[in-house]
Amino acid sequence: MNFGVRALRDMFDEAFGCSEGKGRQPYLKLIPWIEEQGFGKLSKQSIQAEELFRSIGITFNVYGDSDGEERIIPFDLIPRIISSREWLHLEKGIIQRVAAINAFLADIYHRQEIIRAGIIPSELINSNAAFLPEMCGFTPPGNIYTHIVGVDIVRTGPDEFFVLEDNARVPSGVSYMIENRATMLQMFPELFANHRIRTVSDYPKQLFQSLAESASSFIDDPNVAILTPGIFNSAYYEHSFLADEMGIDLLEGSDLEVRGGRVTIRTTTGTSPVDVIYRRIDDDYLDPLSFNPDSVLGTPGLFDAYRNGVVMLANAPGAGIADDKAVYSYMPEIIKFYTGEKPLLDNVPTWRCADPESLQYVISNLDDMVVKEVNGSGGYGMLVGPAASKRELKDFSRKLRANPSNYIAQPTLSLSTVPVLTRSGLAPRHVDLRPFVLVSPEKIRVTPGGLTRVALKKGSLVVNSSQGGGTKDTWVLEA
Amino acid sequence: MLGRHADSLFWMARYLERAENSARRIQATLHHTLTRRTGGDEEWEAIIQSTGNTDTYNDQHKSFVMANVINFVLRGKANDDSVVSLLSKARQNAKSVRNALTQEVWQSLNESWMSGKEALKRPVKIQDLPAILENIIKGSSVFRGALYGTMLHNDIFNFLRLGTFIERADNTARIVGFRYQRLLPTASLSLGDTDYSQWEILLRSLSAWKSYNWVHRGRLDPSDVASFLIFDDRMPRSLLFCYGAICKNLTDLETSYGRDYGSAHQARETLKQLVGGKQSDIHRLSLREFIDTLIHANNDLSLAIAVEFNLER
Repeated sequence: MNFGVRALRDMFDEAFGCSEGKGRQPYLKLIPWIEEQGFGKLSKQSIQAEELFRSIGITFNVYGDSDGEERIIPFDLIPRIISSREWLHLEKGIIQRVAAINAFLADIYHRQEIIRAGIIPSELINSNAAFLPEMCGFTPPGNIYTHIVGVDIVRTGPDEFFVLEDNARVPSGVSYMIENRATMLQMFPELFANHRIRTVSDYPKQLFQSLAESASSFIDDPNVAILTPGIFNSAYYEHSFLADEMGIDLLEGSDLEVRGGRVTIRTTTGTSPVDVIYRRIDDDYLDPLSFNPDSVLGTPGLFDAYRNGVVMLANAPGAGIADDKAVYSYMPEIIKFYTGEKPLLDNVPTWRCADPESLQYVISNLDDMVVKEVNGSGGYGMLVGPAASKRELKDFSRKLRANPSNYIAQPTLSLSTVPVLTRSGLAPRHVDLRPFVLVSPEKIRVTPGGLTRVALKKGSLVVNSSQGGGTKDTWVLEA
Repeated sequence: MLGRHADSLFWMARYLERAENSARRIQATLHHTLTRRTGGDEEWEAIIQSTGNTDTYNDQHKSFVMANVINFVLRGKANDDSVVSLLSKARQNAKSVRNALTQEVWQSLNESWMSGKEALKRPVKIQDLPAILENIIKGSSVFRGALYGTMLHNDIFNFLRLGTFIERADNTARIVGFRYQRLLPTASLSLGDTDYSQWEILLRSLSAWKSYNWVHRGRLDPSDVASFLIFDDRMPRSLLFCYGAICKNLTDLETSYGRDYGSAHQARETLKQLVGGKQSDIHRLSLREFIDTLIHANNDLSLAIAVEFNLER
């Protein structure tokens, strides 16, 4: 079989390293298997996998796509493998970081010690759109703000891992992590027989347990439900998947009603109470009485009920201030401040364009930079300098100068690659990793692995599914 | 169970049943057109008329030629009840209650929708028609099989079955009513000089041709046909059969929810009339009036269920 270019020059390939050697240790049993399968068979199996995804309906809607067609996220058959040693390091770093994020939120919505200590500037928080003054002085059940977190990690070398961003609002993708594994198990049982791979399928049960632990301060054995914006939301499949796996109701805002101070759902026999809502809708749409009055997705009175302690919302409203990209740049200081420890996982070096000197630097080096909107997500509105045309660079400098505090910039990292199956054999493509983290007062749980997103276009660094990225099954090997 | 979910289940089943019925009706009419040289476009016109879609159709087309009717019924853009639109509405409803369905049920529906959408992307040619129709009907059968074989027979199942049988009763009543009004304006059911093919197409539209012949040993008689389609409780598309199933599912809901429902009472009243009608002499009935009353009662029942079980949004 044609292995094509095994590794790109000056890049780290996770299967082959930097050379044309036999391959890196975690991949030593996989590589001969790929050779044995051969290109023809793998190509056929790749098509089968796609049919499987379509018929199960693992699809997403793309916003702004006029024909409204549902698409599937391309799934690449070649797994990405993480050794137990590598994972141990990642897991520790993630737990430390997520604990700090929760402590940060509790502080920001109470005494704001971190501002008083002069670690971060007041205006960064208090004039930030993601900061929710309505949450000030309120303590959520169990003192947990971010029950579910996704930490995006990139790699540039054997031991070089960086956190690219935190997702503290409603991180998505966990259903792909689980479905990718299920698909691989069905198609290649032999691989799982000769590798010892840590399971990911406990996630829904752990999610339920973690939410129940957080709610235990006000209720035992809670009624848990998921709140979705509805079937046209891009992540609807995931919402229904999780509800299904957890065996709980999938609600839309119109199913909920706040009655006599309690939160209830409208059922075929009347109403029944809800205690915990894993909401997959943004803060703004939760409650038209407290937030966006035009929201048709939300439930009037829900936020008051939350503040009165009769219902738990996960994640807490206002948690988004922790994944603001300008706040991200302070994360190393934030971790030190709350844990007293040195961060185990580094940030990607980040320039805050609000600072005039940084802005000057960013504009002069724009063709080497990745520039992001501080509040953006999903790969929208960002500039990848090396891939941009002269004109795009010029236009973007103008945008930067007009509203510098709206942007941060990072150097273009040479992200690690993993082989993918292309039409002409294997080829290295850039990847990132989103591990999923569950936080309760008792425990922080990290599912081994996470979702590997891969930029399927040659040379591309943008892994977002909305921008043509794909996914891979991600294996963490047992020790 | 969420009221909205019950609503989605109920309508999902109704839309699917409606799509299947449309496909069966085209199948019967096609068979008629290909085997009898008489009648012209009348039978194609009848498809449009009996579904109450004439105005929308006339906005689009001048005549009732086969190609126009088929494409209107299967994939007409202006037709909210085209098969393609019904499949997509059924799937949309299924999607919003996905976690109430088993993987097999959902998948069967998703696959029908995918293949239906693909097959009906372009205008349908007559050489492709039989396979397309068969595929739609088969999709419905697979769905039904998955439903019976994999779902818990609980309230979810009851709402699905209610949707199916209320839609089916409506369809059978409309087809029978329309046909008898056209053929027998006097409402007397003595066998006149009638073209057998008219009764054949009626029976075939309800996939009852073979079963009628089985029961009546080939003796074609309008009064027997009416009686078979309305009162024979062995025939899965007869009105009595439908109402037996409707009553059973409502009684199940009464049992599992531990209370009485007005809608269940309404359904049992209709069932009583059907049983009574079966025992009385059909010749003395005004068939048209009987059918009209039933269509109304069926509609009212659908609305009463929506109110009593919190179905409306």
